[in-house]
Amino acid sequence: MKKLSLLLFLATWLAVPGGAQPSYSGPVPPPPTDVRPDALRRAYLGRVAETLDWYQSAATPGQPLTREQLLVKLVRRQDAAQVSQRVLELLSGPQSGDMFWMFPWTAVAYLGRDQLTPEARAALRDAWRTYFPMRGDTENHWAMYYTTLYLMAELYPDEPGTTWFTGKSSAENLAEAKAYLIHWLDLATTVGQGEFNPTHYIGEYAIPMLYLAAWAQDPAMRQRGRMQLDWLLADLAANTLHGVLRGPNARTDDTSAIERWNALASYFSWTMFGNTPPPANYGGWGVYFALAAEHYQLPEVIRRIAVDRDHDILQRDRKRSRRRWRYSDVELAPIYKTNYLRRDYAVGSYQGGLADPIQTHVWDVTWAVPDPRGVHNTIFSVHPLSSSQVLQTYFTELPDAMISGLSSQGKPSYDVPDKILGCSPYEQVCQDCDTVIALYAIPAGTRFPHINGYFSRDLRQVTEDPSGWIFAQGGNTYLAYRPLAGYEWQHLLGYRQLTAAGGGYRWERVDHGAQGDRLLYSPHRHNGTIVQAASAAEFASFAAFRAAINALPLEFALDPVPTVKLTTLRGRQIVATYGQPPVVDGVPVDYSRWKLFEGPHLNAEVGSRRLTLTHGRLTRVLDFNTLTVTDQVAP
Amino acid sequence: MPPARLLLPLLALFPGVPLAAATPAYDFFICANINRNYVIGSKIETLNGVYHRTAAGAWEHLGCNDTGLTAVAFDPRDRQVVYTSALNGLWRSLDGGRTWRLCNGWDITEGRDVAVDPHAPDHVYLALPDGVAVSTDRAQTLVRREAGLPDRGKYTQAIKVDRTRAGRVFAACESGVYLTEDGAQHWRQVLPTRETVNDVQQSPHDPRVWLAVTQSAGAWLSRDGGLTWQQLPGVPTDRALYNGTFDVTNPQRLALGSWAHGVLTSEDGGATWTARNAGLPAAPRVWRVGVDPAGRLYASVVQATLFVSDDFGRTWRRDALEGSQVNSFLLLPPAAP
Repeated sequence: MKKLSLLLFLATWLAVPGGAQPSYSGPVPPPPTDVRPDALRRAYLGRVAETLDWYQSAATPGQPLTREQLLVKLVRRQDAAQVSQRVLELLSGPQSGDMFWMFPWTAVAYLGRDQLTPEARAALRDAWRTYFPMRGDTENHWAMYYTTLYLMAELYPDEPGTTWFTGKSSAENLAEAKAYLIHWLDLATTVGQGEFNPTHYIGEYAIPMLYLAAWAQDPAMRQRGRMQLDWLLADLAANTLHGVLRGPNARTDDTSAIERWNALASYFSWTMFGNTPPPANYGGWGVYFALAAEHYQLPEVIRRIAVDRDHDILQRDRKRSRRRWRYSDVELAPIYKTNYLRRDYAVGSYQGGLADPIQTHVWDVTWAVPDPRGVHNTIFSVHPLSSSQVLQTYFTELPDAMISGLSSQGKPSYDVPDKILGCSPYEQVCQDCDTVIALYAIPAGTRFPHINGYFSRDLRQVTEDPSGWIFAQGGNTYLAYRPLAGYEWQHLLGYRQLTAAGGGYRWERVDHGAQGDRLLYSPHRHNGTIVQAASAAEFASFAAFRAAINALPLEFALDPVPTVKLTTLRGRQIVATYGQPPVVDGVPVDYSRWKLFEGPHLNAEVGSRRLTLTHGRLTRVLDFNTLTVTDQVAP
Repeated sequence: MPPARLLLPLLALFPGVPLAAATPAYDFFICANINRNYVIGSKIETLNGVYHRTAAGAWEHLGCNDTGLTAVAFDPRDRQVVYTSALNGLWRSLDGGRTWRLCNGWDITEGRDVAVDPHAPDHVYLALPDGVAVSTDRAQTLVRREAGLPDRGKYTQAIKVDRTRAGRVFAACESGVYLTEDGAQHWRQVLPTRETVNDVQQSPHDPRVWLAVTQSAGAWLSRDGGLTWQQLPGVPTDRALYNGTFDVTNPQRLALGSWAHGVLTSEDGGATWTARNAGLPAAPRVWRVGVDPAGRLYASVVQATLFVSDDFGRTWRRDALEGSQVNSFLLLPPAAP
């Protein structure tokens, strides 16, 4: 069985023995006070060194080095003979891991090209003949596969097909890999990234792009790697609040959907911006970025976009769905994404519908907290879709087996009624600044014909108002949540991974009781949720916020289709009707005019291949048409 | 009826079928994944590939270890030329499986099925999740040939060449069964369906007889070379059927595999059907069924192993290929010495 790999991150976390991780267990990093370029660079390299140190310190005397540990030794040019011997040992048996095998061994090949013994280098080279890695079935798989195939073909040019697992010559491999990478970059820079703003998978793009930037011999490919890394990190920067990724994303998991900090994306925020703690074990993959991180210089404009929240940011972007093989009129569906970030909170969404079949997070409000570690700082609702046909839309699978197998493949929540992860074709969302209206029209006969509202254990002052609004406070954010149909409260059970014989995953559900998160279970097929957020500082009191919300004009109906007419706290009138474009202040939202990026800091036209990053006086233009990067400093 | 000149090669391909063959008249191959709990990127060692059943009853591994191997086809002129559709696309070996070449570039992926035209053996047909690719040069190059397939709705799960006529090919697609009679230059729909057709098979006894199994419309039989189709009575339509097979030793025997219904067999040419799951795991979750040259019925059960029956499903026992999941079964005339 093929499929998905998110939990490999978690498996890696669990598999790596670790000592102290200063930034993980220590205080939240303070905002940097010395922002001179040299000081920022030193701090960046210090964080990189901390990551490498931790992996190296995890080595146990007398025990064989892990692949990660030998990589650190290669970075630091230590013990080449020991490393070479270990390379031979690791490559002596059957290999596994597919593209997750390819990129670490590519790093070994490059870092070790002038350190490893001839025998070790020969064994490593031959492994690319004898082992058949899968190319995979996702965009991130292909980014890893083709980047590393490209780099290895450059490292070993002019060799015949008999020396490669593909049966193709170095030149053929190089040409194919280059063509795909350019095609992928073209897609991402014209109609948007497929696996957009991922909580974990950012590593599966950023690491290959770093390797391309660091090691490609072709200057054009090296430049593409550097520019795309800028692009990815700018997209991360613009969607974080205090270093934590906010808003919708194509792929996440049950943990990161509610504990937003707990994701590999936070490792990149920590490394690049220094404004949040790194996740445990540096995200499991931190070492793979750190080992080549010295080859990358974060542009100052991106750093400032990440750390400056003095002004509100309203960012509207266009992304795209995962490729749909069947049961859909479109191959790549457009995703229209909004993120509204303020000092105290962020509100994000896309228009609803299917993006990725399993792990999409469609909308939420998240609030800022002084220390994000362990905090479930979010509120949202979902329709818990479980559909064999939807899975078949995106995967070349026969029905039945995939739903059955997902739990054992690390996706325990796909087919449970209380899931809070995923998108649905029966959800339609509209957002205006810090107001979200999510409408649901679930056909009869749908498995799980209800919606789930997520209520964090970390909310305070949760109050069910006679008006029908539910008021709450998260951090310095006041929240108003309006379910449009009847509901009941349930304990939201957690997941605990169990030991599974022979690999795979087994889980048990865990009830945290009254101290845990709650689920607002609403068993009505025509349904909806309205959420409004505001800073506590905007109101004299929580009671004043409640009064303000209750004073807002609100009309809604659920039949024949859900429809809401609402005046928001910001004075905007929204009319949202399921199946129709939302209307804001009398003007229908025209998604066809949506740009690739539009906001105070990131701007690009659809089809342009050109992203403009701005902050204050700084401007950087990434132009993939000409492969040029242009920096400007306004006088 | 095909012209007599076209039947001659057919007879060569399918000589007299013994009712209870002491010596199998065919070679028997399977595409099997032995990779339980594998997901892409797993640190689980796999042993996938094409396996050949030896005269001694053992499974001989021919390669290649692509985790997503879906089907195998051979050049009828030269058994050393092997094609496998796979997750990476289309693999070809020119030396009987010792070495392989990935024949496609990045624009082709996740091959679902592969077939070689016995009358034009340089022609290779590849079923893809976004249509059909064809090679006319033994997979040196692949081109899309999809005229007549719908722009959306051409997910192709299976592809089979009519052994009676060059260039006559059936594609089992998301929106029905499609037929080309000119080597995929043009396709036309011969059986419309609302959801995917999961398999299409030609009878080894009568080349005019074709079987199609579907996701939500049961099983269908054509007796006129695939031009018209009749739904088989008694075959459930509530859940998906995954594949179908004829018994090469007995023209009255057919079998269907289904996750929900397990093994269904007919011993009267498809008129009536019986569930044959006694001895298989509870909730059998059958992935594929196949019949070997001696008439033994096989059932590959997901997350279990391959089961075999000597009495066409009345009783089952575990086959030796422990932990396997079979994606396809293939019978071929014996290789030339």
